[in-house]
Amino acid sequence: MAPILIPLGGGLLSFIFYRKGFSISLLASIVGISLRTDGPSLLMLLMTGVTSITITLYAAGYFSFRIASPSKPGRHERQLQFFWPLWMILLGSLNGLFLAGDIFNIYVTLELIGLSAVALSALSAKPSSQIAAFRYLLVSLLGSLSYLLGIAFLYKTYALLDLDMLRLVPPMKGAHTAFALMSVGLMLKTALFPMHFWLPPAHANALAPVSAILSALVVKASFYLLFRFWFDIFNDLVTPGALFVIGLLGTGAVFWGSIQALRQHRMKLLIAYSTVAQLGYLFIAFPLTQIQEKLYWLPVICMAMGHGFAKTAMFMASGAIFLHVKHDRINELTGVRAYLPVTVFAYTIAGVNLMGLPPSGGFIAKWMLIYAAFEMHKWWWGIVIMLGSLLAAAYVYRVVSKLYVMPPDTIIIEKKAHSMLLEWPPLFLAILSLILGILAPYMVSILLLSKKLVSIGGIM
Amino acid sequence: MSSHNTYPERKNSLALPVILLTSGLFLLLSYTLLSIEQAGGLAAQVQSALPKSGAESPVTAVLLNFRGYDTLLEVMVLFLSILGAWSIGRASLPQALIKTSTIQISCVRLLIPLMILIAFYLVWQGTRFAGGAFQGGSILAAAGVLLLVSDFPKLIQIHSIHLRLGFILGPVTFILIAFYCIFTNKTFMAYPAAIVSQLLLFIEIACAISIGLTLAALFAGGRPAQESSIAQRKGSTL
Repeated sequence: MAPILIPLGGGLLSFIFYRKGFSISLLASIVGISLRTDGPSLLMLLMTGVTSITITLYAAGYFSFRIASPSKPGRHERQLQFFWPLWMILLGSLNGLFLAGDIFNIYVTLELIGLSAVALSALSAKPSSQIAAFRYLLVSLLGSLSYLLGIAFLYKTYALLDLDMLRLVPPMKGAHTAFALMSVGLMLKTALFPMHFWLPPAHANALAPVSAILSALVVKASFYLLFRFWFDIFNDLVTPGALFVIGLLGTGAVFWGSIQALRQHRMKLLIAYSTVAQLGYLFIAFPLTQIQEKLYWLPVICMAMGHGFAKTAMFMASGAIFLHVKHDRINELTGVRAYLPVTVFAYTIAGVNLMGLPPSGGFIAKWMLIYAAFEMHKWWWGIVIMLGSLLAAAYVYRVVSKLYVMPPDTIIIEKKAHSMLLEWPPLFLAILSLILGILAPYMVSILLLSKKLVSIGGIM
Repeated sequence: MSSHNTYPERKNSLALPVILLTSGLFLLLSYTLLSIEQAGGLAAQVQSALPKSGAESPVTAVLLNFRGYDTLLEVMVLFLSILGAWSIGRASLPQALIKTSTIQISCVRLLIPLMILIAFYLVWQGTRFAGGAFQGGSILAAAGVLLLVSDFPKLIQIHSIHLRLGFILGPVTFILIAFYCIFTNKTFMAYPAAIVSQLLLFIEIACAISIGLTLAALFAGGRPAQESSIAQRKGSTL
């Protein structure tokens, strides 16, 4: 219980801090570090909190099932023993990243997130997962170093590390290179096409709860930073050409990810490629964002939250199916609904969000993006989003149709005893992603909350 | 070995884009380095805040006081590295006794106490001059590596719980002191002015021990052999 209680306690403390909101002297914020929350970061924290609680519950059910029927004695106990500390450090550093108000502090949290994510993805001990994890480690380090080089240039130019102060400085010569280096590093970590090559093997070969963590939370953290840098902190450096290129890469991701997803034979690889495609929409949002509008964060946050919940549910569901059927070859998954009805239902509902049907979070996000595309006379992005949704429907139905069909010769496996934690958490998240559109007004009110400060260190 | 034929071909096709990308990056970086207008850094601000920081060395003041939160997270990175290494594999230490030469053994016996002394001296003087937890910790790690390569028989008998407690000593001390500051100064990590230098020294010593142990354990390469899973232990008792 202890590993669950500690981050919860941390969450409570950070909530108290948020309410108090310390004021700090100018000196402290130059040489010290401050933490900040505002609307977008609160929503990301909320997404992380909800997802992590369900993943934690699911992981408890998942590991107890595996330990009860081990494939190799002792292996799952070892996985369990290292899963908890790694996952809790990852969770803590994700929260740290969303609260950070200092570019170097962000680098340290990125490093913590990257290393713990790599160790988690290597946990399944299959050779394929270890190769994928090693590649993930190299990409993650390259991304971090690129980001660090960017910080070095920024510090040389402005002698500042604080985000709020960097927002106010005029663009200077070194800043463009720094901005480019930081952006490329973060894009590598977010797996933007064509830098996505590391993601599908790393996500598909990990243990089911780990896949959910990586797909739902880890890539979102670097995306959140990227969006904040482009539209909040360094908006003066952004040019329309750069936005167009990002949108183009996003389009590539949507099509390449969807088509690859359609070609996969294994369910987890299909879901992993769908992550590549769904991340593409987040980047198509770049040329469609108008920072004059107060709610310019809303489409990407809706997309990120909807995808986070839905993708977690899908990976959890595929994990539960894998534990029962012992494989995840899509063509041989007929009739699963007979013995895992809740899981299959959760998978289908999560698919609704990926397709972008109302009232899901994906629908709200895509609706706003398409609306912006036509309003700004950039209708081609709207077409891309619609075609992408069509492809998403195709790859979701490819699995769902198999799960529901019951040909006469179907072999129905006897349902194994398993804890409720294996089936209900994915359903909860899937339903949450479905009704996210209805909850959007509450998200708007959180988004408009004003900024609070917490300082750490520094002379008071 | 069917990949034998395809491998060189693939290498050639990648060579050109790699050369283009690297030279482009090189040009961009050198252009930036030449054109950048330097702002001079924060040395003056740090210097002016130094008297209140509890450390005479500006490096220590920045590491443990002004940006102590970053250092706490960096110590966590180090802990994470050993956690990751232990999760992946076992250490390949020889289980049987190997005869090490008498010269090596007596050298190691002379050196180890001296190295520990130097390590703690570096930590001690870190508040005034160059030095501190990371420098002292690396000397401790070197002592550990020396013991490991000399195959001291006692090493494989160290129970993993002692190692694990050693790894978390630094981060836990750091966090506890940071929380203690909430009760005294109402802010995380705002050290009370009266005992600030003692607190910093306390953190440095704890971190140095953890850093040294972690680096030496990373050299060993994995979790100790008796760190077998719970199931196997259960299996042996049944």
